[in-house]
Amino acid sequence: MTAPATVAIPLRTEKKRRLPPITISIAFAVLAIALVMVFFPQIAPYDPNFIDATAILQGPSPAHLLGTDQLGRDVFSRVIAGAGTAVLAPLLLATGTIVVAVLLGLAAGYARGWVDGVLGRVIDVLYAIPALLVAIVVVGVTGGGFTMALGILLIFGLPSPFRLFRAAGMERVNLPYMEAARAIGLSHLRIIFTQLLPTLRPLLVSLLFLQFTYGLIEVSSLSFLGLGVPPGSADWGRMMFENRATLSSNVWATAAPGLALVLLAVSTNVIGDWMYNSHEMKEKHR
Amino acid sequence: MSAPAAISAASETGVVASQRRPKARRSSTGIVLRLILTRLLTSLIVLFVVTFVIFLFVHAAPGGPELALAGVDATPEQLAAIRAAYHLDDPLVLQYFRFISGALGGDLGASITMREPVITVVSRAATSVTLPLIVMAWMLSVIPGVTLGYLSARKRGSITDRVILTATILGATAPVFAVGMFVSYVFGIQLGWLPFLGAGDGGLDTLRHLVLPAVTIAVVLLASATRVSRVRFIQVIEEDQYTFARARGLSRSYLWTRVVLKNAAVHLITWSGSLVIGLIAGLIIVEQIYGLPGIGTLLIKAIGSRDIPLIQGITLLIAIGVVLINLVVDLLCIWVDPRIRKGMEVER
Repeated sequence: MTAPATVAIPLRTEKKRRLPPITISIAFAVLAIALVMVFFPQIAPYDPNFIDATAILQGPSPAHLLGTDQLGRDVFSRVIAGAGTAVLAPLLLATGTIVVAVLLGLAAGYARGWVDGVLGRVIDVLYAIPALLVAIVVVGVTGGGFTMALGILLIFGLPSPFRLFRAAGMERVNLPYMEAARAIGLSHLRIIFTQLLPTLRPLLVSLLFLQFTYGLIEVSSLSFLGLGVPPGSADWGRMMFENRATLSSNVWATAAPGLALVLLAVSTNVIGDWMYNSHEMKEKHR
Repeated sequence: MSAPAAISAASETGVVASQRRPKARRSSTGIVLRLILTRLLTSLIVLFVVTFVIFLFVHAAPGGPELALAGVDATPEQLAAIRAAYHLDDPLVLQYFRFISGALGGDLGASITMREPVITVVSRAATSVTLPLIVMAWMLSVIPGVTLGYLSARKRGSITDRVILTATILGATAPVFAVGMFVSYVFGIQLGWLPFLGAGDGGLDTLRHLVLPAVTIAVVLLASATRVSRVRFIQVIEEDQYTFARARGLSRSYLWTRVVLKNAAVHLITWSGSLVIGLIAGLIIVEQIYGLPGIGTLLIKAIGSRDIPLIQGITLLIAIGVVLINLVVDLLCIWVDPRIRKGMEVER
């Protein structure tokens, strides 16, 4: 059985699919632009909240590059101002999710036994509950703000990163270097943090980008339903929600934040995918 | 994948298979029964968690339904009367128990704002809008998605593959509401091909109104279906069994249906189940964009007016739907893949 298999393998090795470098460069460029907008909102030509009643719903012009919304606010400036929540909220969410998932996932994968059993069942239950649905209902009913939305999305976003880290922990726990660490008498905590965690760095970084993408979509979906961020804030999802009634008079008031959102989400997704694939973690994904 | 890695992977699976052999001797009906029982138990816990969490938050929320119903000018006596009528002052545990025991008997109470039984309101919204929408989106996405995945996997690295791949990245990442705004603007406003607001007057007219919303959902679903089936097809093609089957000179149609599709089936079924579950929030958003009076719009309205029975009823019914989908997925997997019936680990 093994002989034909070994013969056949060279036939099947094909060039690994790689995203063209240009795609990756564009993705990084978009991310860089978004970061510039976050840290230097002063580049905006107007105050994003300045209401100019004499210039309502104008189309794009040299004075207003992307026109104005129904309150006469400059759309271009609001898109720049919106980069703040668009980057920071998902970043916070992604970091939080990954930190909790790493701790729980490695604990389950390393310790096994009842810890694994209990955590596994809890995660199974969380996995079957649609996160956004709970977030919509709870945030909508309580009127709870951003913090509550992020908290709920964090808890219900745990299952897939938890499973990845649990699998990674299980895979490594019996490798020689781990046995060596135990043999010289390192404590379990120390083994997890000094031996296990550093080997997971590529997975951590790529997951940060992927979780950022999911977070961005979830948070802005809530904003689009009018939940989470307060009314009138320069948030991309919220802007689309507030401007969609005037779609036919100034399409850019809705399209610009939407486009910014899609570009950022696709970029971080492409970067995360690229990192994930280049470390060949994909096969281990379950 | 490099050659040595492939060999080691192959030998590893060999070891696993031989270790599992004693286990496989257990009767398959026993294994299947155990699988189904664990699933049912998890489902019950899911239902309990969802209803309890929603219940707690809904009741802890400020501004109860009496304010929405009587308005801000209502006297404290009027508010108290409304609270008493809907038993809102009873202990929470008692209220939860009443809700659950009612639900077990098929009674979800009456909507406070619409003054109709929750079941009636929800089933009207579901049958007229939400269910046809899901079915349409489903038909537009799953079979075309698997076909695209096949086209893409058959010739990896070709132009077709690259075009499909790029399109799926875009489609799977773009948020549903952005796709929805784009579709309604281009096909509804600019081209004026199809209606993009409201659900029409029933029958064929409603179906016409559902096309753009269904297309919106289908864009996201199609991209995910293509992506998932492509990855899984490629995995199976790289397995030894495919090479072996090809070496024996079996026809292409046999290879794809009996070898690739059958091996990928469990994975695809599991994924299509979780896609539907992930889609629920998307459904709410799409109904909002196109002004459709479906379950999502009903839920948003109920939240706005603090209509507690309606919120609880809708979330319970959605949770039951999710649980049922998971159950159907599991049963389908057991039916399709004999390895699960033998209690073996299967790549999902």
